[in-house]
Amino acid sequence: MRIPPVLRLVIRNFASNLDPLTIIIRFGQPAVTIVVLGTMFSSIVSSSVTGGTSYTAFLVPGMIAFQMITGGVVAGNLFWLDRRWSMVEQIFSGPFLRSEYLGGLVLTTLLFSLVGVGVMMLVGLPFIGLPSLSPVAVGLVLLTVALGSIFFAGLLIALGTRLRSANAYFTIQSFLQLFVIFLSTVYYPITSKTPKVLATIFYCNPLTYAADTIRDAFLRTMGMGDLEGLGVLAALAAVAFGAAIWGFRTLDLGPIQ
Amino acid sequence: MNSESLVLETRDLGYSYAPGKFAIRHLSLGLRRGEVLGLLGRNGAGKTTTVRLLTTLLPPTEGTAIVLGQDVHHGGRALRARLGVVLQSESLDFVTVERNLTLYAFLWGVPREAAAARAEEMIELFELEQARHRKPWALSGGERRRFQVARELMHDMEILFLDEPTVGLDAIARRRILRYLRERARGGLSIVFTTHILHEADILCDRVAVLHLGRLIALDTAESLKLQHGGAREASMTFTTSLEPIPRAELTQELARRGATLLEVPGESSVPLNRVAFRSEHAEELLPWLSHWAQAHSLEIERLAVEEATLEGAFLGMIGEAPDEGDRAAGETGRPGGTLPPGRMGGPP
Repeated sequence: MRIPPVLRLVIRNFASNLDPLTIIIRFGQPAVTIVVLGTMFSSIVSSSVTGGTSYTAFLVPGMIAFQMITGGVVAGNLFWLDRRWSMVEQIFSGPFLRSEYLGGLVLTTLLFSLVGVGVMMLVGLPFIGLPSLSPVAVGLVLLTVALGSIFFAGLLIALGTRLRSANAYFTIQSFLQLFVIFLSTVYYPITSKTPKVLATIFYCNPLTYAADTIRDAFLRTMGMGDLEGLGVLAALAAVAFGAAIWGFRTLDLGPIQ
Repeated sequence: MNSESLVLETRDLGYSYAPGKFAIRHLSLGLRRGEVLGLLGRNGAGKTTTVRLLTTLLPPTEGTAIVLGQDVHHGGRALRARLGVVLQSESLDFVTVERNLTLYAFLWGVPREAAAARAEEMIELFELEQARHRKPWALSGGERRRFQVARELMHDMEILFLDEPTVGLDAIARRRILRYLRERARGGLSIVFTTHILHEADILCDRVAVLHLGRLIALDTAESLKLQHGGAREASMTFTTSLEPIPRAELTQELARRGATLLEVPGESSVPLNRVAFRSEHAEELLPWLSHWAQAHSLEIERLAVEEATLEGAFLGMIGEAPDEGDRAAGETGRPGGTLPPGRMGGPP
């Protein structure tokens, strides 16, 4: 059976650049956050702040939303390393279309993110029990993470097509990751006491919409707001993916450092 | 050249990276099935750009390139599936050499069993046994280059493009690769080969295209280029006996009259009385005359040496760079046989 080019590229992405240590750290970091931060903050954060649930129950959906960053970063880094080591040029000189290579990166991202969702659910299980998610809620969680992953993957790939220095790429990537996580509702909710400036910034951040939507799915409080959030996420994902496509179309395959 | 027999043909091919700035321009050449075409040129001459244009990595901004019957503008995946490309830059995956080979074959859709067998063949052929389980960063420069060529040969192709494949290789590895490529060409594989090592092009390539400042300035066999552009070469002659003053003067005057520059005049400085050396654009043409002259003066030739014409000399001549002493020395040792036995050119027995 002949495997389609996109799937061959996905298999190659996993086989070539994702070593076990990277995978452990990528999934381990949010898992440890659930265990340590959840345990420590549950005793000092009032449930009235976290919508009537324990802090851990509040954090688990946040960490699930976090997987879209994990997946996005994996795609961005894969692309950067391929570009740095001329594998982009090598693959483009073979029987592949640029769109297939990009599709391979996105599929890798999605797989990584969705596995991450499963890992976070498993880690959260002892703390919050098995959440009773309706099929619609499961679909909503997966769609949210998928759209968020496409957004971050698109953003980082687009960035990777423009930059020529590894230092610049990884510095911007770390900076983005840090601020996107901390200026979102992954770790804390927006309350009436949140400064207006910060609240505005939070709402400009796609991770906020993702974290809130997933949290609502877990708490069975889904509403129109979540659909709007999903719409915002879909629009941002389309823009970021469009930027990545544009970056690929105009990609200079010359050497980078 | 009959264009029907060509697997690659370019007409006025050009690429401009900025308005009015061309990396390559007016490139018209052809490649036959089973032919090895060498692309020679200085750094920045347009060799890599040409390879990238012909492999669809860059879109031409002018002219046309038909590769395997398809325009490179529209060839896309179907065309690339019939090509092999060894890039100038190192391209590596972060797995062991063996895994790299099989993974690359997998990418190209080579069945697993065939890929495993071919990986073994390539590991042996390119002497990668010691490196088989090492990751790319643990390889030496030469091993990486050998690996990169080996990896490209994991799949079938009709035209192989090699952009400086032998950089950093020792002489033995280089010879093995060149011999293998020659065999593949005999089997029908067409090869486009860029190199800075002109001696390689001389022994491997059926024809050589010389690029200079983005233009094709010559396209011919290495032998023909050497003959046409080899430039002045040195020749020396040693007689078994010293030359008397009169024949000595006659010889030097005649050589000068025939356009030769005398390098060693018998009896002058520390030059022995039985030796003469000169440089001439037509050194080979002067040799029969010299033999005849020696015969006429009843002189026996002990040793006759003519500097070998080299592709390097021809290349330097074509791009307007005069060869220096080092180049000439390299030329003299370029190929055995530059020294002819006495009598070969008609000297007295």
